[in-house]
Amino acid sequence: MSNAIETRGLEYRIGRSFEIRDLALNVPEGSIYGFLGPNGAGKTTTIQLLLAMRRARAGSITVLGKRVPQEITAVLSRTGYVPERPHVDPSLKIDEALRFHAAFYRSWDDKEGERLLAQFDLDRSRRIKRLSKGETGKFLMVLALAQRPDLLLLDEPTDGLDPVVRREVMTAVVDYVSQRGATVFISSHLVHEVERMCNWIGVMDKGRLVSEMTTDSFKSGIKRLRVTGAPQSMADPPFVLLSRQPSEGVIEGELWVVRGWQAPMRDYFESAGARLTEVTDLDLEDGFVELLRTSRSRQPLEGR
Amino acid sequence: MFRVILQSHWNWSKLLLGPGVVAAFALPILSVQQINEPGYADWSPWGTAGLLRDVESWGIWYAALAAGLGLAIATSAWGSDHRGGHVYALSLPVERWRYVLFRYASGAVLLGVPILSFWLGALLAIASIDLPDSLHAYPTELAVRFALASLVAFTVFFAISAGTMRTAGYILAVIGGLLVAQLLLATAGAGVDPLEYVVDRLTSWPGPFEVFTGRWMLIDV
Repeated sequence: MSNAIETRGLEYRIGRSFEIRDLALNVPEGSIYGFLGPNGAGKTTTIQLLLAMRRARAGSITVLGKRVPQEITAVLSRTGYVPERPHVDPSLKIDEALRFHAAFYRSWDDKEGERLLAQFDLDRSRRIKRLSKGETGKFLMVLALAQRPDLLLLDEPTDGLDPVVRREVMTAVVDYVSQRGATVFISSHLVHEVERMCNWIGVMDKGRLVSEMTTDSFKSGIKRLRVTGAPQSMADPPFVLLSRQPSEGVIEGELWVVRGWQAPMRDYFESAGARLTEVTDLDLEDGFVELLRTSRSRQPLEGR
Repeated sequence: MFRVILQSHWNWSKLLLGPGVVAAFALPILSVQQINEPGYADWSPWGTAGLLRDVESWGIWYAALAAGLGLAIATSAWGSDHRGGHVYALSLPVERWRYVLFRYASGAVLLGVPILSFWLGALLAIASIDLPDSLHAYPTELAVRFALASLVAFTVFFAISAGTMRTAGYILAVIGGLLVAQLLLATAGAGVDPLEYVVDRLTSWPGPFEVFTGRWMLIDV
Protein backbone atom coordinates (compact mmCIF):
# COMPACT_ATOMS: atom_id res chain seq x y z
CA MET A 1 0.00 0.00 0.00
CA SER A 2 1.43 3.41 -0.90
CA ASN A 3 1.29 6.41 1.36
CA ALA A 4 -0.91 9.43 0.77
CA ILE A 5 1.36 11.42 3.06
CA GLU A 6 4.98 10.68 3.74
CA THR A 7 7.54 12.80 5.51
CA ARG A 8 11.18 11.99 6.15
CA GLY A 9 13.54 13.75 8.52
CA LEU A 10 11.31 16.79 8.74
CA GLU A 11 12.77 19.61 10.82
CA TYR A 12 11.13 22.90 11.72
CA ARG A 13 11.75 25.44 14.42
CA ILE A 14 9.78 28.39 15.79
CA GLY A 15 12.01 30.59 17.92
CA ARG A 16 13.83 28.74 20.68
CA SER A 17 10.83 27.28 22.39
CA PHE A 18 9.43 24.83 19.86
CA GLU A 19 10.77 22.57 17.20
CA ILE A 20 9.70 19.60 15.15
CA ARG A 21 12.48 17.05 14.99
CA ASP A 22 13.08 14.24 12.56
CA LEU A 23 9.40 13.72 11.76
CA ALA A 24 8.70 10.59 9.72
CA LEU A 25 4.97 10.24 9.03
CA ASN A 26 3.44 7.45 6.96
CA VAL A 27 -0.24 7.92 6.22
CA PRO A 28 -1.47 4.99 4.10
CA GLU A 29 -3.66 5.76 1.12
CA GLY A 30 -7.34 5.24 1.95
CA SER A 31 -6.76 5.31 5.69
CA ILE A 32 -8.45 7.47 8.29
CA TYR A 33 -5.44 8.59 10.23
CA GLY A 34 -5.90 10.12 13.66
CA PHE A 35 -3.12 12.52 14.55
CA LEU A 36 -3.23 12.70 18.32
CA GLY A 37 -1.33 14.90 20.67
CA PRO A 38 -1.79 17.31 23.53
CA ASN A 39 -2.18 21.02 22.89
CA GLY A 40 1.09 22.48 21.66
CA ALA A 41 2.42 19.13 20.45
CA GLY A 42 2.93 20.46 16.91
CA LYS A 43 -0.10 19.01 15.15
CA THR A 44 -1.21 22.24 13.48
CA THR A 45 2.35 23.14 12.57
CA THR A 46 2.78 19.74 10.94
CA ILE A 47 -0.38 20.20 8.89
CA GLN A 48 0.78 23.64 7.82
CA LEU A 49 4.10 22.12 6.76
CA LEU A 50 2.22 19.51 4.71
CA LEU A 51 0.35 22.34 2.96
CA ALA A 52 3.50 24.42 2.41
CA MET A 53 2.14 27.22 4.59
CA ARG A 54 5.41 26.93 6.47
CA ARG A 55 8.82 26.02 5.14
CA ALA A 56 10.70 23.13 6.74
CA ARG A 57 14.38 23.59 7.58
CA ALA A 58 15.19 20.08 6.42
CA GLY A 59 13.59 16.85 5.31
CA SER A 60 11.16 15.85 2.59
CA ILE A 61 7.38 15.87 2.27
CA THR A 62 5.37 13.90 -0.26
CA VAL A 63 1.59 14.31 -0.42
CA LEU A 64 -0.53 12.36 -2.93
CA GLY A 65 2.66 11.42 -4.71
CA LYS A 66 3.74 15.04 -5.20
CA ARG A 67 6.66 16.83 -3.60
CA VAL A 68 5.88 19.66 -1.22
CA PRO A 69 6.44 22.58 -1.59
CA GLN A 70 7.56 22.17 -5.23
CA GLU A 71 4.25 20.74 -6.46
CA ILE A 72 1.95 22.24 -3.87
CA THR A 73 -0.63 23.57 -6.35
CA ALA A 74 -1.30 20.05 -7.62
CA VAL A 75 -1.55 18.83 -4.03
CA LEU A 76 -3.96 21.57 -3.00
CA SER A 77 -6.23 20.94 -5.97
CA ARG A 78 -6.89 17.45 -4.55
CA THR A 79 -6.91 18.32 -0.86
CA GLY A 80 -9.77 19.49 1.31
CA TYR A 81 -8.56 21.45 4.30
CA VAL A 82 -10.45 22.39 7.44
CA PRO A 83 -8.25 24.51 9.69
CA GLU A 84 -8.31 24.80 13.44
CA ARG A 85 -9.84 28.28 13.24
CA PRO A 86 -12.23 29.55 10.55
CA HIS A 87 -10.20 30.97 7.67
CA VAL A 88 -12.91 32.20 5.31
CA ASP A 89 -13.75 35.90 5.10
CA PRO A 90 -16.57 36.23 7.67
CA SER A 91 -18.14 39.18 5.87
CA LEU A 92 -19.18 36.93 2.98
CA LYS A 93 -22.52 35.22 2.71
CA ILE A 94 -22.46 31.44 2.51
CA ASP A 95 -23.47 31.66 -1.13
CA GLU A 96 -20.65 34.08 -1.96
CA ALA A 97 -18.07 32.01 -0.14
CA LEU A 98 -19.20 28.88 -2.00
CA ARG A 99 -18.94 30.62 -5.36
CA PHE A 100 -15.50 31.98 -4.50
CA HIS A 101 -14.27 28.57 -3.39
CA ALA A 102 -15.81 26.71 -6.34
CA ALA A 103 -13.97 28.93 -8.81
CA PHE A 104 -10.64 27.45 -7.71
CA TYR A 105 -11.53 23.74 -7.93
CA ARG A 106 -12.18 21.87 -11.16
CA SER A 107 -13.57 18.97 -9.18
CA TRP A 108 -16.11 21.16 -7.37
CA ASP A 109 -19.53 19.49 -7.24
CA ASP A 110 -22.43 21.96 -7.02
CA LYS A 111 -24.98 19.25 -6.33
CA GLU A 112 -22.91 17.83 -3.52
CA GLY A 113 -22.52 21.31 -2.05
CA GLU A 114 -26.26 21.80 -2.24
CA ARG A 115 -26.91 18.41 -0.66
CA LEU A 116 -24.50 19.09 2.19
CA LEU A 117 -25.99 22.53 2.86
CA ALA A 118 -29.40 20.90 3.14
CA GLN A 119 -28.03 18.08 5.30
CA PHE A 120 -26.43 20.59 7.68
CA ASP A 121 -29.45 22.91 7.50
CA LEU A 122 -27.39 25.91 6.37
CA ASP A 123 -29.06 28.87 4.67
CA ARG A 124 -27.14 30.19 1.64
CA SER A 125 -28.15 33.79 2.31
CA ARG A 126 -26.64 34.00 5.80
CA ARG A 127 -23.39 35.78 6.47
CA ILE A 128 -20.59 33.66 7.86
CA LYS A 129 -20.03 36.05 10.76
CA ARG A 130 -23.63 35.43 11.84
CA LEU A 131 -23.18 31.65 12.04
CA SER A 132 -22.78 29.87 15.35
CA LYS A 133 -19.59 27.97 16.04
CA GLY A 134 -21.27 24.70 15.11
CA GLU A 135 -22.68 26.12 11.89
CA THR A 136 -19.28 27.53 10.96
CA GLY A 137 -17.70 24.12 11.52
CA LYS A 138 -20.33 22.53 9.31
CA PHE A 139 -19.88 25.16 6.62
CA LEU A 140 -16.11 24.63 6.50
CA MET A 141 -16.79 20.93 6.09
CA VAL A 142 -19.14 21.68 3.17
CA LEU A 143 -16.34 23.61 1.46
CA ALA A 144 -13.87 20.77 2.01
CA LEU A 145 -16.19 17.95 0.94
CA ALA A 146 -17.92 19.54 -2.06
CA GLN A 147 -14.59 19.96 -3.80
CA ARG A 148 -14.41 16.12 -3.91
CA PRO A 149 -10.85 15.82 -2.58
CA ASP A 150 -8.67 12.72 -2.54
CA LEU A 151 -7.23 13.83 0.78
CA LEU A 152 -8.94 15.54 3.69
CA LEU A 153 -6.72 17.40 6.14
CA LEU A 154 -8.81 18.21 9.17
CA ASP A 155 -7.20 20.20 11.95
CA GLU A 156 -9.28 19.68 15.09
CA PRO A 157 -12.46 20.10 13.05
CA THR A 158 -14.82 19.40 15.93
CA ASP A 159 -12.98 21.24 18.68
CA GLY A 160 -15.48 23.23 20.72
CA LEU A 161 -18.53 21.78 18.97
CA ASP A 162 -21.40 20.21 20.85
CA PRO A 163 -21.76 16.40 20.62
CA VAL A 164 -24.69 16.55 18.20
CA VAL A 165 -22.90 18.78 15.70
CA ARG A 166 -19.68 16.84 16.19
CA ARG A 167 -21.43 13.62 15.25
CA GLU A 168 -23.11 15.23 12.22
CA VAL A 169 -19.79 16.53 10.94
CA MET A 170 -17.88 13.31 11.46
CA THR A 171 -20.68 11.25 9.93
CA ALA A 172 -20.44 13.38 6.79
CA VAL A 173 -16.69 12.69 6.68
CA VAL A 174 -17.12 8.95 7.11
CA ASP A 175 -19.88 8.87 4.46
CA TYR A 176 -17.62 10.69 2.04
CA VAL A 177 -14.73 8.35 2.68
CA SER A 178 -16.90 5.28 2.23
CA GLN A 179 -18.14 6.57 -1.15
CA ARG A 180 -14.90 7.93 -2.45
CA GLY A 181 -12.14 5.97 -0.72
CA ALA A 182 -10.33 9.18 0.15
CA THR A 183 -7.60 9.48 2.77
CA VAL A 184 -8.38 11.44 5.91
CA PHE A 185 -5.76 12.95 8.17
CA ILE A 186 -7.48 14.29 11.26
CA SER A 187 -5.68 15.96 14.10
CA SER A 188 -7.35 15.97 17.47
CA HIS A 189 -6.85 15.77 21.16
CA LEU A 190 -10.28 14.14 21.55
CA VAL A 191 -9.09 10.57 21.82
CA HIS A 192 -12.51 8.92 21.89
CA GLU A 193 -13.53 10.63 18.66
CA VAL A 194 -10.41 9.35 16.95
CA GLU A 195 -10.89 5.89 18.43
CA ARG A 196 -14.34 5.60 16.87
CA MET A 197 -13.45 6.49 13.31
CA CYS A 198 -9.73 6.10 12.66
CA ASN A 199 -7.92 2.97 11.55
CA TRP A 200 -4.45 4.46 11.95
CA ILE A 201 -3.07 6.53 14.76
CA GLY A 202 -0.01 8.73 15.09
CA VAL A 203 0.81 10.28 18.43
CA MET A 204 2.81 13.46 18.59
CA ASP A 205 4.28 15.16 21.63
CA LYS A 206 6.61 18.13 21.89
CA GLY A 207 7.35 18.13 18.17
CA ARG A 208 8.20 14.42 17.96
CA LEU A 209 6.25 11.50 16.60
CA VAL A 210 5.98 9.19 19.58
CA SER A 211 4.14 6.34 17.93
CA GLU A 212 2.44 5.38 14.68
CA MET A 213 0.41 2.18 14.27
CA THR A 214 -3.01 0.80 13.40
CA THR A 215 -5.73 1.60 15.92
CA ASP A 216 -6.34 -2.10 16.50
CA SER A 217 -2.77 -2.85 17.45
CA PHE A 218 -2.68 0.30 19.57
CA LYS A 219 -5.80 -0.70 21.46
CA SER A 220 -5.36 -4.45 21.70
CA GLY A 221 -1.78 -4.58 22.88
CA ILE A 222 -1.90 -2.00 25.67
CA LYS A 223 -2.62 -3.48 29.10
CA ARG A 224 -2.28 -2.58 32.73
CA LEU A 225 -0.76 -5.45 34.74
CA ARG A 226 -0.76 -5.87 38.49
CA VAL A 227 2.48 -7.60 39.47
CA THR A 228 3.74 -8.69 42.89
CA GLY A 229 7.21 -9.78 43.93
CA ALA A 230 8.93 -8.41 40.87
CA PRO A 231 12.66 -7.79 41.31
CA GLN A 232 13.86 -4.26 40.64
CA SER A 233 15.48 -5.22 37.36
CA MET A 234 13.97 -7.82 35.08
CA ALA A 235 15.80 -8.78 31.94
CA ASP A 236 14.46 -8.68 28.40
CA PRO A 237 10.65 -8.53 28.71
CA PRO A 238 8.84 -9.87 25.61
CA PHE A 239 6.63 -6.73 25.58
CA VAL A 240 7.29 -3.00 25.66
CA LEU A 241 7.22 -1.71 29.22
CA LEU A 242 5.65 1.74 29.11
CA SER A 243 5.53 2.46 32.83
CA ARG A 244 6.09 0.73 36.16
CA GLN A 245 5.04 2.16 39.49
CA PRO A 246 3.95 1.01 42.94
CA SER A 247 0.20 0.50 43.18
CA GLU A 248 -1.64 3.04 45.27
CA GLY A 249 -3.73 2.26 48.37
CA VAL A 250 -3.75 -0.95 50.35
CA ILE A 251 -3.24 -3.30 47.42
CA GLU A 252 0.35 -4.46 47.33
CA GLY A 253 2.49 -4.85 44.25
CA GLU A 254 3.15 -2.72 41.21
CA LEU A 255 1.19 -1.48 38.24
CA TRP A 256 2.84 -2.02 34.90
CA VAL A 257 1.56 -0.55 31.65
CA VAL A 258 2.80 -2.56 28.69
CA ARG A 259 2.39 -2.60 24.93
CA GLY A 260 2.39 -5.69 22.73
CA TRP A 261 0.91 -7.92 25.41
CA GLN A 262 -0.20 -11.50 24.66
CA ALA A 263 -1.55 -14.09 27.09
CA PRO A 264 1.41 -16.55 26.91
CA MET A 265 3.66 -13.81 28.24
CA ARG A 266 2.43 -14.64 31.78
CA ASP A 267 5.24 -17.20 31.92
CA TYR A 268 7.77 -14.44 31.85
CA PHE A 269 6.76 -13.27 35.32
CA GLU A 270 6.84 -16.74 36.82
CA SER A 271 10.30 -17.42 35.39
CA ALA A 272 11.48 -14.20 37.06
CA GLY A 273 9.99 -15.13 40.43
CA ALA A 274 7.16 -12.59 40.21
CA ARG A 275 3.41 -13.10 40.11
CA LEU A 276 0.93 -11.57 37.71
CA THR A 277 -2.37 -11.08 39.52
CA GLU A 278 -4.45 -9.01 37.14
CA VAL A 279 -4.53 -7.96 33.48
CA THR A 280 -6.72 -4.98 32.55
CA ASP A 281 -7.51 -3.70 29.04
CA LEU A 282 -6.80 -0.02 28.61
CA ASP A 283 -8.86 2.07 26.23
CA LEU A 284 -7.24 4.35 23.70
CA GLU A 285 -7.25 7.33 26.01
CA ASP A 286 -5.46 5.46 28.79
CA GLY A 287 -3.02 4.10 26.25
CA PHE A 288 -2.48 7.58 24.86
CA VAL A 289 -1.79 9.02 28.31
CA GLU A 290 0.61 6.21 29.19
CA LEU A 291 2.37 6.56 25.87
CA LEU A 292 2.94 10.26 26.46
CA ARG A 293 4.08 9.68 30.02
CA THR A 294 6.62 7.10 28.91
CA SER A 295 7.79 9.22 26.03
CA ARG A 296 8.31 12.25 28.27
CA SER A 297 10.20 10.27 30.91
CA ARG A 298 12.52 8.89 28.22
CA GLN A 299 13.25 12.15 26.47
CA PRO A 300 15.71 13.53 29.06
CA LEU A 301 17.64 10.26 28.96
CA GLU A 302 17.80 10.33 25.17
CA GLY A 303 19.06 13.88 25.31
CA ARG A 304 22.10 12.98 27.39
CA MET B 1 -10.96 32.84 -10.70
CA PHE B 2 -10.38 36.47 -11.60
CA ARG B 3 -14.09 37.19 -11.62
CA VAL B 4 -14.59 36.00 -8.03
CA ILE B 5 -11.48 37.85 -6.86
CA LEU B 6 -12.79 41.02 -8.52
CA GLN B 7 -16.16 40.46 -6.84
CA SER B 8 -14.46 40.03 -3.47
CA HIS B 9 -12.42 43.20 -3.98
CA TRP B 10 -15.53 45.10 -4.98
CA ASN B 11 -17.28 43.97 -1.80
CA TRP B 12 -14.44 45.35 0.26
CA SER B 13 -13.95 48.60 -1.61
CA LYS B 14 -17.41 49.72 -2.71
CA LEU B 15 -18.00 52.01 0.29
CA LEU B 16 -14.77 53.87 -0.47
CA LEU B 17 -15.00 53.62 -4.22
CA GLY B 18 -18.45 55.24 -4.44
CA PRO B 19 -17.43 58.60 -2.93
CA GLY B 20 -14.14 58.34 -4.85
CA VAL B 21 -15.97 58.10 -8.17
CA VAL B 22 -18.15 61.09 -7.31
CA ALA B 23 -15.14 63.15 -6.20
CA ALA B 24 -13.19 62.22 -9.33
CA PHE B 25 -16.09 63.35 -11.51
CA ALA B 26 -16.74 66.53 -9.58
CA LEU B 27 -13.19 67.77 -9.07
CA PRO B 28 -12.43 68.91 -12.66
CA ILE B 29 -15.87 70.52 -12.92
CA LEU B 30 -15.40 72.40 -9.66
CA SER B 31 -11.94 73.52 -10.70
CA VAL B 32 -13.29 75.58 -13.64
CA GLN B 33 -16.56 76.77 -12.14
CA GLN B 34 -15.29 80.26 -11.42
CA ILE B 35 -14.78 80.86 -15.14
CA ASN B 36 -18.54 80.82 -15.62
CA GLU B 37 -19.06 83.39 -12.91
CA PRO B 38 -20.20 86.83 -14.15
CA GLY B 39 -17.31 89.20 -14.81
CA TYR B 40 -14.64 86.52 -14.75
CA ALA B 41 -14.03 86.36 -18.48
CA ASP B 42 -11.19 88.83 -18.49
CA TRP B 43 -8.94 87.47 -21.22
CA SER B 44 -6.31 90.16 -20.95
CA PRO B 45 -2.79 88.86 -20.22
CA TRP B 46 -3.32 89.61 -16.53
CA GLY B 47 -6.69 87.91 -16.50
CA THR B 48 -5.31 84.83 -18.24
CA ALA B 49 -2.45 84.59 -15.74
CA GLY B 50 -4.97 84.81 -12.92
CA LEU B 51 -7.02 82.03 -14.45
CA LEU B 52 -3.96 79.78 -14.75
CA ARG B 53 -3.06 80.46 -11.09
CA ASP B 54 -6.58 79.49 -10.08
CA VAL B 55 -6.47 76.31 -12.15
CA GLU B 56 -3.07 75.41 -10.76
CA SER B 57 -4.27 75.85 -7.18
CA TRP B 58 -6.54 72.84 -7.71
CA GLY B 59 -3.57 70.66 -8.62
CA ILE B 60 -2.91 69.52 -5.06
CA TRP B 61 -6.42 68.09 -4.88
CA TYR B 62 -5.93 66.02 -8.03
CA ALA B 63 -2.75 64.52 -6.58
CA ALA B 64 -4.37 63.97 -3.19
CA LEU B 65 -7.41 62.26 -4.74
CA ALA B 66 -5.22 60.01 -6.87
CA ALA B 67 -3.18 59.02 -3.80
CA GLY B 68 -6.29 58.51 -1.70
CA LEU B 69 -7.95 56.30 -4.28
CA GLY B 70 -4.76 54.26 -4.69
CA LEU B 71 -4.57 53.82 -0.94
CA ALA B 72 -8.24 52.87 -0.58
CA ILE B 73 -8.16 50.27 -3.35
CA ALA B 74 -4.83 48.85 -2.17
CA THR B 75 -5.83 48.38 1.45
CA SER B 76 -9.13 46.78 0.46
CA ALA B 77 -7.32 44.39 -1.91
CA TRP B 78 -6.12 42.27 0.99
CA GLY B 79 -9.06 42.87 3.31
CA SER B 80 -10.59 39.42 3.02
CA ASP B 81 -7.21 37.67 3.21
CA HIS B 82 -6.08 39.60 6.27
CA ARG B 83 -9.27 38.54 8.05
CA GLY B 84 -8.29 34.88 7.87
CA GLY B 85 -4.58 35.44 8.43
CA HIS B 86 -4.01 34.52 4.75
CA VAL B 87 -4.58 30.86 5.62
CA TYR B 88 -7.49 30.56 3.21
CA ALA B 89 -5.58 32.09 0.32
CA LEU B 90 -2.61 29.83 1.01
CA SER B 91 -4.84 26.77 0.94
CA LEU B 92 -6.22 27.54 -2.52
CA PRO B 93 -4.80 25.59 -5.46
CA VAL B 94 -3.31 28.55 -7.28
CA GLU B 95 0.30 29.67 -7.51
CA ARG B 96 1.04 32.47 -5.12
CA TRP B 97 2.37 34.80 -7.82
CA ARG B 98 -0.82 34.23 -9.83
CA TYR B 99 -3.01 34.96 -6.83
CA VAL B 100 -1.11 38.20 -6.13
CA LEU B 101 -1.37 39.11 -9.80
CA PHE B 102 -5.14 38.57 -9.75
CA ARG B 103 -5.48 40.69 -6.63
CA TYR B 104 -3.40 43.43 -8.26
CA ALA B 105 -5.33 43.22 -11.51
CA SER B 106 -8.66 43.42 -9.72
CA GLY B 107 -7.48 46.62 -8.02
CA ALA B 108 -6.34 48.05 -11.34
CA VAL B 109 -9.74 47.28 -12.89
CA LEU B 110 -11.58 48.92 -9.99
CA LEU B 111 -9.33 51.96 -10.21
CA GLY B 112 -10.45 52.26 -13.82
CA VAL B 113 -13.90 53.36 -12.65
CA PRO B 114 -12.86 56.60 -10.89
CA ILE B 115 -10.29 57.25 -13.60
CA LEU B 116 -12.99 57.03 -16.24
CA SER B 117 -15.18 59.21 -14.06
CA PHE B 118 -12.37 61.75 -13.79
CA TRP B 119 -11.91 61.80 -17.55
CA LEU B 120 -15.64 62.31 -18.16
CA GLY B 121 -15.70 65.04 -15.51
CA ALA B 122 -12.76 66.77 -17.17
CA LEU B 123 -14.39 66.59 -20.63
CA LEU B 124 -17.64 67.95 -19.24
CA ALA B 125 -15.81 70.72 -17.39
CA ILE B 126 -14.10 71.84 -20.58
CA ALA B 127 -17.30 71.63 -22.59
CA SER B 128 -18.99 73.94 -20.10
CA ILE B 129 -16.58 76.88 -20.56
CA ASP B 130 -15.36 79.12 -23.35
CA LEU B 131 -11.62 79.56 -23.51
CA PRO B 132 -9.70 82.27 -25.35
CA ASP B 133 -7.48 81.19 -28.25
CA SER B 134 -4.38 81.65 -26.11
CA LEU B 135 -5.35 78.85 -23.74
CA HIS B 136 -5.86 75.13 -24.34
CA ALA B 137 -7.60 72.37 -22.42
CA TYR B 138 -5.91 69.06 -21.62
CA PRO B 139 -8.64 66.79 -20.21
CA THR B 140 -7.26 63.54 -21.63
CA GLU B 141 -3.67 64.32 -20.71
CA LEU B 142 -4.73 65.20 -17.17
CA ALA B 143 -6.80 62.02 -16.93
CA VAL B 144 -3.80 59.96 -18.06
CA ARG B 145 -1.66 61.61 -15.40
CA PHE B 146 -4.38 61.00 -12.82
CA ALA B 147 -4.46 57.34 -13.88
CA LEU B 148 -0.69 56.99 -13.59
CA ALA B 149 -0.61 58.66 -10.18
CA SER B 150 -3.47 56.45 -8.92
CA LEU B 151 -1.69 53.35 -10.19
CA VAL B 152 1.61 54.37 -8.58
CA ALA B 153 -0.11 54.98 -5.23
CA PHE B 154 -2.06 51.74 -5.59
CA THR B 155 1.08 49.75 -6.42
CA VAL B 156 3.09 51.12 -3.50
CA PHE B 157 0.31 50.66 -0.94
CA PHE B 158 -0.63 47.28 -2.41
CA ALA B 159 2.92 46.06 -1.81
CA ILE B 160 3.01 47.47 1.72
CA SER B 161 -0.40 46.16 2.74
CA ALA B 162 0.38 42.72 1.32
CA GLY B 163 3.05 42.30 3.93
CA THR B 164 2.83 41.26 7.51
CA MET B 165 2.90 43.50 10.55
CA ARG B 166 6.63 42.80 10.62
CA THR B 167 7.03 44.27 7.12
CA ALA B 168 5.08 47.34 8.16
CA GLY B 169 7.33 47.54 11.22
CA TYR B 170 10.45 47.51 9.03
CA ILE B 171 9.08 50.32 6.87
CA LEU B 172 8.20 52.39 9.93
CA ALA B 173 11.64 51.66 11.39
CA VAL B 174 13.35 52.94 8.22
CA ILE B 175 11.26 56.13 8.29
CA GLY B 176 11.88 56.54 12.02
CA GLY B 177 15.61 55.94 11.49
CA LEU B 178 15.71 58.64 8.84
CA LEU B 179 13.97 61.13 11.12
CA VAL B 180 16.34 60.37 13.99
CA ALA B 181 19.36 60.65 11.70
CA GLN B 182 18.02 63.95 10.42
CA LEU B 183 17.60 65.24 13.96
CA LEU B 184 21.07 64.14 15.08
CA LEU B 185 22.78 65.57 12.01
CA ALA B 186 20.91 68.85 12.39
CA THR B 187 21.88 69.06 16.08
CA ALA B 188 25.51 68.38 15.20
CA GLY B 189 25.37 71.04 12.48
CA ALA B 190 26.67 68.57 9.89
CA GLY B 191 24.94 70.35 7.04
CA VAL B 192 23.68 67.05 5.65
CA ASP B 193 19.97 66.49 5.15
CA PRO B 194 19.21 62.78 4.56
CA LEU B 195 15.44 63.24 4.69
CA GLU B 196 15.49 65.89 2.02
CA TYR B 197 17.76 63.71 -0.09
CA VAL B 198 15.38 60.73 0.14
CA VAL B 199 12.30 62.83 -0.55
CA ASP B 200 14.07 64.43 -3.49
CA ARG B 201 15.06 61.01 -4.91
CA LEU B 202 11.51 59.76 -4.59
CA THR B 203 9.76 62.79 -6.05
CA SER B 204 12.07 63.66 -8.93
CA TRP B 205 12.66 61.64 -12.06
CA PRO B 206 13.09 58.65 -12.06
CA GLY B 207 11.61 58.44 -8.55
CA PRO B 208 8.22 56.70 -8.35
CA PHE B 209 6.39 59.72 -6.92
CA GLU B 210 7.51 62.17 -9.54
CA VAL B 211 4.08 61.92 -11.16
CA PHE B 212 2.53 63.58 -8.09
CA THR B 213 4.69 66.67 -8.22
CA GLY B 214 4.72 69.61 -10.62
CA ARG B 215 1.72 71.34 -12.13
CA TRP B 216 -1.60 69.53 -12.64
CA MET B 217 -3.24 71.74 -15.24
CA LEU B 218 -6.58 71.10 -16.84
CA ILE B 219 -6.13 74.37 -18.73
CA ASP B 220 -2.77 75.72 -19.83
CA VAL B 221 -1.17 77.75 -22.55
